Amino acid sequence: MTFHPRLTLIAALLASGCATLSPESQQQLTSARTAYSQAAADAQVQRYAPAELNTAAQALQDAERLAKDGADSTLVEHNAYLAERRARTALSTAQMRQGEAAVLEARAERTRAQLAAREIEAAAAREEAQRAEIARQQAEARTRALEQEKVKVVQDQSAAAGLTAEVKRLEAYYPGVQTRQTPRGLVLTLNNDLLFDSGAALKGGADRALDDLAGFLRSHPNRKVAVEGFSDGAGPKDAAERLSKRRAEAVKFALVQRGIEPHRIDARGYGPSFPVGTNDTEDGRQRNRRVEIIINPS
Amino acid sequence: MPLLFLCALAACATTEPPEKEMAQARAALAQARPVVQQEGLNEYAQAHAKLERAERAMQQRHYEHARLLAEEAEADARLAWATSENARVKRALDAERASR
Repeated sequence: MTFHPRLTLIAALLASGCATLSPESQQQLTSARTAYSQAAADAQVQRYAPAELNTAAQALQDAERLAKDGADSTLVEHNAYLAERRARTALSTAQMRQGEAAVLEARAERTRAQLAAREIEAAAAREEAQRAEIARQQAEARTRALEQEKVKVVQDQSAAAGLTAEVKRLEAYYPGVQTRQTPRGLVLTLNNDLLFDSGAALKGGADRALDDLAGFLRSHPNRKVAVEGFSDGAGPKDAAERLSKRRAEAVKFALVQRGIEPHRIDARGYGPSFPVGTNDTEDGRQRNRRVEIIINPS
Repeated sequence: MPLLFLCALAACATTEPPEKEMAQARAALAQARPVVQQEGLNEYAQAHAKLERAERAMQQRHYEHARLLAEEAEADARLAWATSENARVKRALDAERASR
């Protein structure tokens, strides 16, 4: 408590008439004590407005001292008034500063929440973009596969068309050559009269047909052929089978001579089995004497 | 009015003019004026009235009277400021919480 000469002087001047506290002074002092107690008890005031609380404490101490000394009620009431006002100011100031801190915290929280929300959005967008990219790649792959499929179909079609066209050429060139489509592949039937005079030696006139056939096989390296020899029903069956086998092998040999790999050609002899005509007429027997070349699907 | 009564008794003319208290009261009023809200309006009006009376007391050389009035005007103005600022911050906080 600081020594205050001016107040002391006034108190001394007025001391005689003010021994007991007036009701107004008493009331003002009570208000000040209440306001101060409330502010001092508040932890937030201690924390956020200690300086304001201290000025209230000083004024209240002055008021209490003046009242005790029997000072003029005006001075008592004045200091009590200041104490009450300052205590309320301390309380409001503390609440205000606490509120400011809460506002800052709320703003920071909102910013964090916004950042988090943006991060989630960005992650979702990235995920969506990834899904879109995967879908795009899948669609592209499907399109490529379909394109390849189409190209393959077209190639197969043109290959089949090419095959048929080329074999038809053989058919057109040589009487006695017939073609037909079967489940085993395209079957080319060459009449023996075209290929052989007798025995298993190929006629010179067969060269052209064999050249064309070899050319066809060269241009379709994935296709294999079966060369199958047949005879009519005349004569012993064993001999007929051997002869038909030798004739099939003669055709295979001729094709190998023309550059076709041996493993692509399978030569067999069936003799009189699987006749295509009756053996009772010369025409039927002639049709049964034949070599069939089966061109397998690739 | 107790203050006037005191002044009459206390021989005001013998004390120094309370220039410091007057300046502090004016400063506190000036600080509260731009931020005063409805919640602090009564305290501000009291501060304003007391400062005017203090200025008059100064002119009449009732310096002790002027000092007490100036001190109370300052305390009222500071309370007006704190009450108004507290109300403003509370509204800002409410708005901040509502906007989330």
